[in-house]
Amino acid sequence: MKLTHDKRAAALFILPLLLTVGVFILVPVLGTVANSFLRDVTFLPERYIGLANYRALLNDGAFWQSLRFTCLFTLVSVPLELIFGMIFALILNQALPGRGVLRVAVLIPWAIPAAISGRAFELIYNYSYGLANYLLQNLGLADEPVNWLGTGWGAFFSLVVADGWKTTPFIAIILLAGLSAIPEELHQQARVDRAHFLQRFWRITLPLLKPVLVVALLFRTVQALRIFDVIFVLTGGGPGGATNALSLYGYQYFVSGDFGYGSAISVVLFALALVFALLYVRASRFQEEMR
Amino acid sequence: MLNMLQRFFLLIVMVCVLAACRRGGEPALVLAVGGAPSELAFWEQVLADFSEQAGIRAELRRQPTDSDQRRQGLLIALKARQQDPDVFLMDVVWLSQFAASNWLYPLDDLAGADFDPSVFFTRVLNLVDRQSGALVALPVYIDGGLLYYRKDLLAEYGFSGPPRTWDELLEQGAKVQAGERSRNPGFWGFVWQGAQYEGLICNFLEFAASGGGGIYRDGGFILSSPANERALSLMRSLIHEKRISPPSTYTQMKEEDVRTTFQSGNALFERNWPYAWPLHQQDGSPVAGKTGIAALPHFPDGQPVSTLGGWHIGVSRYSDMPQQAWELVKYLTSHRVQKRMALELGWNPGRSDLYRDPQVLEEMPHFAELRSIFSYAEARPMLPYYSQISAIVQRHLNAALATRSRPEQALRAAQAEIERVTARYRIESEKSDHEFHERHEFFGEKN
Repeated sequence: MKLTHDKRAAALFILPLLLTVGVFILVPVLGTVANSFLRDVTFLPERYIGLANYRALLNDGAFWQSLRFTCLFTLVSVPLELIFGMIFALILNQALPGRGVLRVAVLIPWAIPAAISGRAFELIYNYSYGLANYLLQNLGLADEPVNWLGTGWGAFFSLVVADGWKTTPFIAIILLAGLSAIPEELHQQARVDRAHFLQRFWRITLPLLKPVLVVALLFRTVQALRIFDVIFVLTGGGPGGATNALSLYGYQYFVSGDFGYGSAISVVLFALALVFALLYVRASRFQEEMR
Repeated sequence: MLNMLQRFFLLIVMVCVLAACRRGGEPALVLAVGGAPSELAFWEQVLADFSEQAGIRAELRRQPTDSDQRRQGLLIALKARQQDPDVFLMDVVWLSQFAASNWLYPLDDLAGADFDPSVFFTRVLNLVDRQSGALVALPVYIDGGLLYYRKDLLAEYGFSGPPRTWDELLEQGAKVQAGERSRNPGFWGFVWQGAQYEGLICNFLEFAASGGGGIYRDGGFILSSPANERALSLMRSLIHEKRISPPSTYTQMKEEDVRTTFQSGNALFERNWPYAWPLHQQDGSPVAGKTGIAALPHFPDGQPVSTLGGWHIGVSRYSDMPQQAWELVKYLTSHRVQKRMALELGWNPGRSDLYRDPQVLEEMPHFAELRSIFSYAEARPMLPYYSQISAIVQRHLNAALATRSRPEQALRAAQAEIERVTARYRIESEKSDHEFHERHEFFGEKN
């Protein structure tokens, strides 16, 4: 009797959360999926058209270009952020003087809204008065200014740097939390066994960090897949559509009043993120089995 | 004694009653406008004057400055068939979509015999405000691309006036740039908008149509044509061969980057909208008093072209008080208010008669030139799915400017992609069914 009462109380406590998730996540997602089966264009009669929007996507070169860019961006930027985030976390985990100040300083980029940090990078990459060209020319490394965003790869890596600057701290802080949970005795013991730094990192730090790592990667991967603000501010998808991320492509259709096609693009993006998320969840289960 | 719950309940009831009272009061016209704080203050003032004079309560619905956000705000309200806003301003490129979506009240049905459309720029009315024969909007603010030039530098290098053809622009730009570079290594002959955004389409149209090219004509897309190829090759050569336009043209050059480059004295020619004029002339501007404006150059076999921009006013199909809304439209496009707009905001009115007004001309002498430039106005394709076309064309033009593709290749690819992508919007028979259906419903409501 008491047990069921507890259960009922528990259900009651969970209910608000379920309602919130349902209203703010499930309903919009399902609504978008439903919308993607419609011809929902402001100037045409609304009509159910089945998979026609998705069939049109298959033949849409710009969509494939966006998809390719989005995946490539994620696959390049997230590992880079992971490496740098790990280095920062390892440094911040040492007993350095002023460690508290350093930890706060590292978090600052993460706290700045992406649209604003995008503007800051615009001032760095600017052709005529940008900081990057100023340094390059004053250090005598180049005679002419460089048009950083002028080529496909130039724009790509400029975006990776701008986004990485902002999001690496996120990984660093999560990993730092994981690091501080690893008992120091393990390292001390390993030192007694004369394990050098790299051995200790591979055998102790990394395995114990894995659950936290998966969480950090999951968050970052999903965020990188739906990158929008930095690109919107810096390149607008240029040059020649080379950096037209999926979210930007979908946004264009929403703004212009083709809600069906825009929804179909959003659904593809959602599915992509879901696949990545499931892969990570699988990876973390695998980790549990190992134990 | 009331307990907590009862008090709470009572409170909710009171709030509802109050809200109902407010709703039940005199209905108000709602005008949706966005812009800078000074502009919004101007609209507040004008609406207050209107309310007092006409005895119709009118409120301002403040929208953001960004035009995409303004459009989205209107789209959502209209798609939900909301009664408010009753009146709103639209960017010229939205007009077709709004009209085809049947969101705009035909103004001919509201206007009385006293309404005289001839005070507006006839060419503008015919190009954009009449949609399938019906007058659906009126121009409040007119924009058109034009050429700014440095009078002092042209004289110094022995040129008698601004270039009339693109070849003259190349010649003057190259000579002055070569000379000025010794003093100012960051000096450029010609700055214009080439980044991947709407501005690129406006610039391209001016280059292309000034030599017989264009995007859309007589019901078909004409992107892949020799005239367009010549125009795009010229745009590209300005950056890469003649090198009188900076490499950043296709990455970051939008209106403000272009304006600040010219205004800080780093360019001989600038393509921009009229808004740059008062800024160039303001105190402390290095180019104040040294700047002239002219129509953009053209190809030898063409004539100048100025891409038409600006904001138009219309009445919502779902307005609960269309007749009063029309009164507001009439008031906002009246000689008096448009004159105030010109004098207080520096806006270019949609009424052509103001460009001859002695008081306006005294304060804004450049209006005389603007008037002749606007007569070269060319509209971007007036199609409900223009945004999709624009996104495609922007991408391919920008790729050509970035030398990621050759001009003829880019134009052919753009044409093919437009044909494919827009096929799903061109369902003509269905569309006329829809129009018939909606019109029918519309008359039904009116009776």
